[in-house]
Amino acid sequence: MASEDARYRATSQFEAWSFSPAQLAAMREKTNAIARQRIAERMLSSASNPPTSNNTSHANTPDPSGTGTPNPNENSAPTLPDFLKPEEEALLVSFYVSELLRAADHLGVPDEVRATATVFFRRFFLTNSIMTYPPQEMILVALFVGSKAEGRFPRIIEFQQKFNTKQDILAGEFLLCQGNRFNFEVRHPFRALMGAMMELRSYGDIDEQRIIAAEKRAHEILLFSPLMTDAYFHYTPSQIMFAALSLADRGLAERLIQETFHFVPPTTNNDNTPAVTPLPGTENSGISRKEGGGKGTMTNDERAAIIGPGIRDKVMGTIEACRNMLSNELPERKSHWTSESIFKSQIRPVRKKLTKCRDPERWNLSELQRQRREAGLRRADSEERPAASNGAKDAGIFGGDLAAGAPEKKRRKVDGSGLEDPFGGPL
Amino acid sequence: MARPLDPLGFEDEMCPVCKSRKYLNPDIVFVFNPECYHSMCLNCANRLFNDGPNQCPHAGCNKTLRRKGFRSAFFGDLAVEREVDIRRRVAAVFNQVEEDFETLQDYNNYLQMVEDLTFELVNGTDERRRQAEAQLQAWEAEHRQDIERNKKAGREADEMSRKRLAAERDAARQRRIEAIKEAEEEKRERVRSREMELDNLAKGITTTTEPATKVQLKRRGQVNRVAEAAPNPAASAMATGASEVERLSIRGLKEKPKAPAPQGPYDPFGGMDFAPSRYKLHGGLTHPLIEKYRLDRQHVAGGYSFDDFAARALYEAFAGLGVFVEDEKEAGSASGIGLSQETTMAAGIAAVDDADRMDLD
Repeated sequence: MASEDARYRATSQFEAWSFSPAQLAAMREKTNAIARQRIAERMLSSASNPPTSNNTSHANTPDPSGTGTPNPNENSAPTLPDFLKPEEEALLVSFYVSELLRAADHLGVPDEVRATATVFFRRFFLTNSIMTYPPQEMILVALFVGSKAEGRFPRIIEFQQKFNTKQDILAGEFLLCQGNRFNFEVRHPFRALMGAMMELRSYGDIDEQRIIAAEKRAHEILLFSPLMTDAYFHYTPSQIMFAALSLADRGLAERLIQETFHFVPPTTNNDNTPAVTPLPGTENSGISRKEGGGKGTMTNDERAAIIGPGIRDKVMGTIEACRNMLSNELPERKSHWTSESIFKSQIRPVRKKLTKCRDPERWNLSELQRQRREAGLRRADSEERPAASNGAKDAGIFGGDLAAGAPEKKRRKVDGSGLEDPFGGPL
Repeated sequence: MARPLDPLGFEDEMCPVCKSRKYLNPDIVFVFNPECYHSMCLNCANRLFNDGPNQCPHAGCNKTLRRKGFRSAFFGDLAVEREVDIRRRVAAVFNQVEEDFETLQDYNNYLQMVEDLTFELVNGTDERRRQAEAQLQAWEAEHRQDIERNKKAGREADEMSRKRLAAERDAARQRRIEAIKEAEEEKRERVRSREMELDNLAKGITTTTEPATKVQLKRRGQVNRVAEAAPNPAASAMATGASEVERLSIRGLKEKPKAPAPQGPYDPFGGMDFAPSRYKLHGGLTHPLIEKYRLDRQHVAGGYSFDDFAARALYEAFAGLGVFVEDEKEAGSASGIGLSQETTMAAGIAAVDDADRMDLD
């Protein structure tokens, strides 16, 4: 196994956030089903006993939800709204990602922040339904947390000035981190593209203008296409980079692949002998056997498994698949997502549907946070146990979202379902 | 080397063979053979066993004895003599020391075992004695090397302590000689200075008395200094002797508690290999975007390494190129990495949701 691949396999991006298409679809189905069930329960419970504290949440909620919820309130046998289907959710997520990219442009953040925020957003809405938490606010939360994750620490004032909201961003911060299972490192293909360009330049026989043009175009693609698609879930950054490069200049991408997987195993009768072949001088300097620690010796089989023709074809197939995925969302499609007609014909109906079926308790982030804090304080006051007050203090410190209310209860619950991780279970 | 066995009631001592007594023959010497611990007088032993091995003359004892095995007793009671012999033999075989054991508990268990065995040998019935004897011999045969090594270590330790004692004695003697010499020297000096004083007085020069005493004082100071310096070599010799003893005992310590096999140096990366296998790093890898920083003092002065950037960029370009998410995650779902994780995650969400709901209720 190539050492670079082994290192990539150790990242949280591969461990926790890489899925096959079938798995991704299954997860979205599941998220959707769970959200339907929860929201239906909440709607019914808020309909059956309206004058409880639950009601305050949508009393203070901005109006759109009001159009959906009064219906169950009035009828004694409340009718449930028409929930979004998983495909519709995916469409909305894509739409909001395009909104996120617009917001990022508006904010003028670097490429990494933009991409990280998008990935955070996508990951969050992979395990949480767009019906449960408000995507419009989560966009800004993702941008805020993404900036922090990339080592830039914007002041919330900047966001307030540009987007005219502050409380919701702060309220959603911890929620987003939880939804991302605190996996803050996202691997991006941008630096990889620079690396590929360095390698291409070192060949020495490629026209400089061609390289510059290819890099420009590939960079443009990387800033849009992988973010608008599920590429980050299905492919590794280097595969995405090669796919983008291939879209920009297929010849260069293929050249780079051919040069990398250059190893030709000797004739078949030689293959069976596990002889350690002395490598051709130019090739072996950078290659080292895993255990040998730089001895520079490797059997033909091992070398073929890393840089042989078999793996080359497989890599090319994967890059081709990624290329197809990216080609669905080329940067030219930017206008597609912003065009008024498309919005009217495709997005608006789904958004209307969404306003009817959103979660009555979770829709307002700051209200949700306030309630949870209060619940935590109430518990602390009523029980007056040092542990409980500690919990409330912690909740205050950590911004008190999901875990803020009842640390004891939650822990018990989590233990009951066989999960010992306070972050809400492994991914 | 005969010792008075029974200084008060030696009329009790009687050779069971020739019936002669100490009373009748004050020079009589009693000997016994450790084969059976039956005593007889030296004359009888000589007479009976001069012509080679013979049976023990005691009634009912059919051990075959040799002349060579006879010796005189150290203790009056031959039972004690026998027990001491046995203990000596057992101690020669079971000669581990406390440092050989990992815990005190182990050592105490070992001592207990040895004592039990010894007791069997000394006081046990025939059957048990035979058994203990067999155990002892088996142990001796199995652990011959250990025993030899311990014996050697013990001998060396004895040797060392003997040497150290000798060195101390030598040093003490040396010190005494030095002291005597010094006293003599001082006496001579005093006599000489007094003579000088008298000479000076006789010559009528009175002013020289002060320098003379000064000289004497100075000499005394020198002598003292010499006296201080003198025992030093002996002391240092003693110190080295002590340190050698110390070192030996430390070696004995280190040898025995079986240290776990060396695991090699600690690897914080858990054996992960950082040598690239798909690409090679060479000079001249560069990019127009970083080119301009090569001359930028803010970057260069801080030690920014452009090679490191190139290494990282190349690593990112090729890392995970051979990772096929679809294949690996589908394969992983069987072993509980993929879909099953997703279900636990869903359960986690459900759990969190439930908890929240309970809070709000």
